[in-house]
Amino acid sequence: MALLEVHNINTFYGNIHALRGVSIEVEEGEIVTLIGGNGAGKSTTLNTISGITPAREGQIIFEGQDITETRPHEIVEKGITQAPEGRRVFARLTVRENLDMGAYTRRDRDGIKESLDAVYEIFPRLKERESQPGGTLSGGEQQMLAIGRALMAQPRLLLLDEPSMGLAPILVQEIFATIERLNETGTTILLVEQNAQVALSICNRGYVLQTGEIVLSGTGGELLANKMVRDAYLGAS
Amino acid sequence: MKEHIRNGVSAGLTFGVVTIFFSLIGFTSTATELMGGFIGNTSTARASSPGAIFNLVFLLTLVYLWNGSMAAKPTEEDTQQKAMQSGLVAGTVTGLLVAIYAFTVGSINAAGIDMRDYLTSMSSDAIELFLLGLSPVVGAVVQLVWITAVGAGAGWLAFKLRDKPLRKAIGRLWERIKERFSQVPLIQKINKSKYGNFIWYGVILLVLVLIPLPLSDYWNYTLGTIGIYVLLGLGLNIVVGMAGLLDLGYVAFFAIGAYTVALLTAPTPHNLLWNFWIALICGVILAALAGILLGVPVLRMRGDYLAIVTLGFGEIIRILSKSDALTGFSGGPRGVRDIAGPSILGMPFNSPRAFVWLIILGCLLVIFVTSRLQNSRVGRAWVAMREDETVAQAVGINTWQYKLMAFAIGAAFAGLGGVLFASRNMFTGPEDHNLMVSINVLSLVIVGGMGSIPGVITGSLVLKGLPELLRQLETYRMLAFGALLVAMMIIRPEGLWPSKRRRLEMHEEEEEPPTEHLANPSGGDAA
Repeated sequence: MALLEVHNINTFYGNIHALRGVSIEVEEGEIVTLIGGNGAGKSTTLNTISGITPAREGQIIFEGQDITETRPHEIVEKGITQAPEGRRVFARLTVRENLDMGAYTRRDRDGIKESLDAVYEIFPRLKERESQPGGTLSGGEQQMLAIGRALMAQPRLLLLDEPSMGLAPILVQEIFATIERLNETGTTILLVEQNAQVALSICNRGYVLQTGEIVLSGTGGELLANKMVRDAYLGAS
Repeated sequence: MKEHIRNGVSAGLTFGVVTIFFSLIGFTSTATELMGGFIGNTSTARASSPGAIFNLVFLLTLVYLWNGSMAAKPTEEDTQQKAMQSGLVAGTVTGLLVAIYAFTVGSINAAGIDMRDYLTSMSSDAIELFLLGLSPVVGAVVQLVWITAVGAGAGWLAFKLRDKPLRKAIGRLWERIKERFSQVPLIQKINKSKYGNFIWYGVILLVLVLIPLPLSDYWNYTLGTIGIYVLLGLGLNIVVGMAGLLDLGYVAFFAIGAYTVALLTAPTPHNLLWNFWIALICGVILAALAGILLGVPVLRMRGDYLAIVTLGFGEIIRILSKSDALTGFSGGPRGVRDIAGPSILGMPFNSPRAFVWLIILGCLLVIFVTSRLQNSRVGRAWVAMREDETVAQAVGINTWQYKLMAFAIGAAFAGLGGVLFASRNMFTGPEDHNLMVSINVLSLVIVGGMGSIPGVITGSLVLKGLPELLRQLETYRMLAFGALLVAMMIIRPEGLWPSKRRRLEMHEEEEEPPTEHLANPSGGDAA
């Protein structure tokens, strides 16, 4: 049984049919990516999984439990956390406060301290900026903070929404290296990306999303080699 | 045009227009009278007596000093000469405007035309006073010279004081006072004692209990009103300041508290005659329930939408209480009279003084609850929600629950305020609960400092207490209100007594030690 099974979900924004029968699976220990153009429904898929925009039809199973109707805060408690799109940090809280906020659902003081140390080890830059408001960090640091905050909840499954967005190429490399490292230490990751090249090269498996539907799936290597993917998302001539 | 000259002209124009405006609406005369009242030098019947002229000149000189010092703000190449030039230019510009104005109104007045036909405050006396009792021509020239000289002087003064900011000097003084005090043996002993905090709380409590004793009924009544607004402010502070939900219909919960105690204890229309204390508890609970009832449907909305819906709710409650259809139930437009006051062991406890004690007790209770909430998980959830609701959800905060909680607690505090207000006045009616109450409370929260408990108390003292001290200025209350809010938003957006966090938010660049990222904002990415 997969860690996360998404069966045929349909999500609407009012009358707009954003997801049309999306089904994906994430196995324990994998990095799975979801690529696609603007408005394809990538972020909506993540938001539907984390309960922020619930699905109207379909089923989401996490660790064998149906979480389709579960409310967002309970989903976090069950072990799925999301680092939202666009480096959304609490701009006016300090780095430390942002991270503490990430552990909101936890009450084990010692465990939280351990997680904090772990996050600081992954992102030493955050330690240096500990008492600085989140909004004053650079773009890359804010992304680190958003990911670090999501890690503070000790997720079984980490949802990353476009971590490379708006970052300089060198920082994109750095962030993706970190994502791989996180995965090696045992965090399962579902990654949404527009930067298909890098995303596909670090993932185990990937899905291609187009106007709310999965049109293609396969291992990272397969997708990288696929003609349609190359033409549409990799800008290959 | 050179920068320092431009500064001078713009300050001069602003202050000129403002001075003329204040004179046109009669504010200058009123302020003069007020000052005369304080120092008692205007006993003569004539409006333009030497005393009054002295007061006017004194007040306006302060304004013109401000003008000059505003103009002389630091420029790139900051020299004494330039600062003085800025002040001089500002003074001349203001002086010219005011002189032209003074000459014009003076001539009209001298021609025997009564300007009050057009502007109610422009009495002959007021115009003469503004001309310092001189003829239009001489008065205008004197104004020009005086304002110019003051402007230049202020520019010079501003330059001289620039290196020693007043704020630092006050800060040092405060430190010194604190040091002195902490050396007093008794205070040292208390601070060292295990129960130090409790002793200090006791002292504060004692002072609060003693305050109403020497005051007259009138001042106790005023103090009570201030206290009730502290209650309301603390409640709204939770909703707006902490949870970030803009509620413009806050008065609805105040009304529900007031009407609960009214209908349960008054002889008409229901003749229930319940005990005050039971009615008080009912009022608070009902208000909290109303908060939840309103909250469930509207809390899906964010920001402006929420503001509009709550605004509507506030009006609905007021109009319902006023409607003829409900006269039999709620007294209709005439309101409810003979509301019961509190009693203790059968003894009535309903003098204005007793009510002050009661209100202080209520405030202390509310302050205790608020400060406990602020530092709890609940408080942290509110902060997160205020900052970014989506992210708050993403870190696992049940936003819906905490919003409802904020609404219910805020409403309960307002209900308590309403109960005390209605019971003290022994009357409540629809007009006690109009939109102005919501606006007043919101203003005092903003002026005091959102999210800060001492801020709310300060705001309440300033917005509810000062107008009582300055009764003569009542006509200008709304004007002053507006001006105060605008000025606050520009000069001190975080409020008079902000919470620590808010101060940090608003003045990041000033209070943060300079760090590498500030010096190199874009390069941080590549580093």
